[in-house]
Amino acid sequence: MAQILDGIRIFDMTIAAVGPWATKLLGALGADVIKVEPPGGDVLSKSVPPMIRGMGILYISANHNKRHIELDLKREADRAVALRILEKSDVLVQNMRPGVAERLGLGYDAAAKLNPRLIYVAASAYGRVGPMAVEAGIDPTLQAFSGWCGVTGPEHGRGEMFRHLAHLDLTTASMITQSVLQALIARERTGQGQKVEIEMLTAAMALQSTRLAEYLATAVQPRPLGSAAAATAPHQAFECEDSRYLAVGVERDDQWPGFCRALKLDQLINDPRFASNAARVRNRAELVSILAPRFASKPATWWMIRLTREKVPNGPFLTFAELRHHPQVTANAHIADLDTPHWGTLSTEGLPWRFGRTPAGPLRAGGMPGEHTAEVLAELGMVNDSK
Amino acid sequence: MSSPGSLEGLRVIDITSGLCGPWCSMQLGDAGADVIKIELPGGDSARSMPPFIADESAVFLSLNRNKQSIVIDYRTSDGAELVRRLARSADVFIEDLASAALAHGLSYEHLRRENPRIVHCAISAFGEDGPLKDAPGSELVVQAMAEYAASLGKIGDPPVRLGADVAALNTGIFATQAILAALFHRARSGEGQRVSVSQFGSLLHMRGIMWQAMTDPDDWYGFHLDHYTHPPEYGYQTADGAIYFILRRGNTEDWDRLLLELDMMHVLDDPRFADCGRLATGVGRYAAEVKPIWEEAFKRHTSADIVKLIHSLGGDAVPMMDYDSLIAHPQVEALGAIVEIDHPKAGAFKTIRPVARFSATPNAIRRPPPMLGEHTNQVLAALGLEDTEIARLRSLGIVA
Repeated sequence: MAQILDGIRIFDMTIAAVGPWATKLLGALGADVIKVEPPGGDVLSKSVPPMIRGMGILYISANHNKRHIELDLKREADRAVALRILEKSDVLVQNMRPGVAERLGLGYDAAAKLNPRLIYVAASAYGRVGPMAVEAGIDPTLQAFSGWCGVTGPEHGRGEMFRHLAHLDLTTASMITQSVLQALIARERTGQGQKVEIEMLTAAMALQSTRLAEYLATAVQPRPLGSAAAATAPHQAFECEDSRYLAVGVERDDQWPGFCRALKLDQLINDPRFASNAARVRNRAELVSILAPRFASKPATWWMIRLTREKVPNGPFLTFAELRHHPQVTANAHIADLDTPHWGTLSTEGLPWRFGRTPAGPLRAGGMPGEHTAEVLAELGMVNDSK
Repeated sequence: MSSPGSLEGLRVIDITSGLCGPWCSMQLGDAGADVIKIELPGGDSARSMPPFIADESAVFLSLNRNKQSIVIDYRTSDGAELVRRLARSADVFIEDLASAALAHGLSYEHLRRENPRIVHCAISAFGEDGPLKDAPGSELVVQAMAEYAASLGKIGDPPVRLGADVAALNTGIFATQAILAALFHRARSGEGQRVSVSQFGSLLHMRGIMWQAMTDPDDWYGFHLDHYTHPPEYGYQTADGAIYFILRRGNTEDWDRLLLELDMMHVLDDPRFADCGRLATGVGRYAAEVKPIWEEAFKRHTSADIVKLIHSLGGDAVPMMDYDSLIAHPQVEALGAIVEIDHPKAGAFKTIRPVARFSATPNAIRRPPPMLGEHTNQVLAALGLEDTEIARLRSLGIVA
């Protein structure tokens, strides 16, 4: 079946996680993604542990749905090959330090001259202007810099990092994918390509829009609240009689009466201290002092059944072992098996979208560095004389 | 107000509320689309989320620029008919689980009969199949079920969530991608379609590296810091705060200088510090274990001095910042990351600019976030309704 990005070629010059994950998503939408690496491949992502059969997990996971070619851009002949690919591409994505692409003759001006329909994405950590422009950045340094850790942690405790060090990488990647799609639509209308700039720092700030809004409105630094939400209540974890924690979330006023009924606390429904979200947030401590002993009086399953019956959001804290074959995960292929030629069968994330008419995916395993050099060059009518 | 945006001339009808759907339609509005936000009487739930600026929710303001608000009670058949009329000439329609459950005849099957080119986006909590397909989610519930709390806090302590609203906003990004992809397909083929995303699926996607890492690794020390047993990461304590750093481009000369400056020559024989400290810092295998050794040295220096020293050696280092230091940082100013929007009631408020900068079809902020029902009259008039008809619908509580 036809895929959405059939016939769209992506020239992927990115390393590490941000760029590669973005082009991987475009590949899953049907684009022909050509990942260009220096001889030996992207050293950084190849060395991120754990390794599977000797290959770093970042390299394996961020490069599905691509073809891998090796070019030594320090060599004139290989630069010429790169320019030929660029000429035949719809999108170029690069995350080099400021000035590097220009020195290689692959800056925006040169690229646009050669291929005016090209969409040229320049991604960076801190942007290409300002005192931090020359700094490299990766997920944990952006977590530290962007204030992200200051709003996360136990209540009254210290702010902490999210130890899954990829969330800001993949968020920036997602925004790049979004931007490429947006620029492709614009190109259908104008006939012209353009340059798109995006940096992890602004992406990290945008992802914190709701929390930064709180700060920018009040000039008061929001503090970590453990599992609780700052703008809605009750919206936190409660410990139940069996010592299990249950996550519950009343995000809308129309969920409040059902919540009270589920807890057999009907008298709270119209209690003026708790009758609106704003009031419940204001009186959160008082509310929790009523709810905590209530939750502690029965096992988590008891409350899950009652809350679910009242259509109040609730759920347990799950881990991979429980998730892998969870009926909801399997039914939607949120996690799925992927056969790969080099690394056996992997459990991979599912695709984040579903299309009624033009199905995306499936994920296809990427390859080893340089695995498709000959194939891609032959297809583009070039021979590789670089070796 | 010069160049048109990428989606200029396209119309989006958004009946969602809260954070996720509104974030998505704001992205489309930033890109130039004409976004009609349809609210039930009483308004979007985000309007009641504190803090407030002159009674306007700061959270709501951060998610709803570039939209017009119209109040239609689409739980009534007359209200639903009005929404269908609006959707007839629209390019995109966005619904979430809560709005879809209340709406009459606004499913894709209904809308496409009169508008086969429409792109219809449905946002659910857990995905469209399976036992939880109709279950409502919340930010914490989705984070909890998607294993997010496993990378936060301490084992045995009460769970900790990510402070940012990632289940909502990351899903909003994927919804935007799905809509844009479908619009691109429509531009090339003329065909509309239904697309869908879920919050649970989105967060499980965001943790995808972890699923692959655990499949069959040669050995297991976790993925980066994500080990399931590691302690909380607060950064490295210094004399006056905390920093985070990574050494990955170091050579022997730089390494020796770093150890000299920090008076740490004693670690030279420690195998955990081998290879210029590559495994002893940041995400290295021994980083958690040797952290006290670094902190013992760092406590004699200020954060600024250590950051400067590590930069001079080609490493990455930043102070652990809160919002005060972030917003005051010259880098944020250089990027113009914070912008001010004039709101008729809240006055000038600050928010984050559209992230991506397009050279030819720029994203732009053209309208402040709307007040509830601010555009009901003009949108309905443009739809061809007479003033008397609008007044009649108002008196029946169908519009407001």
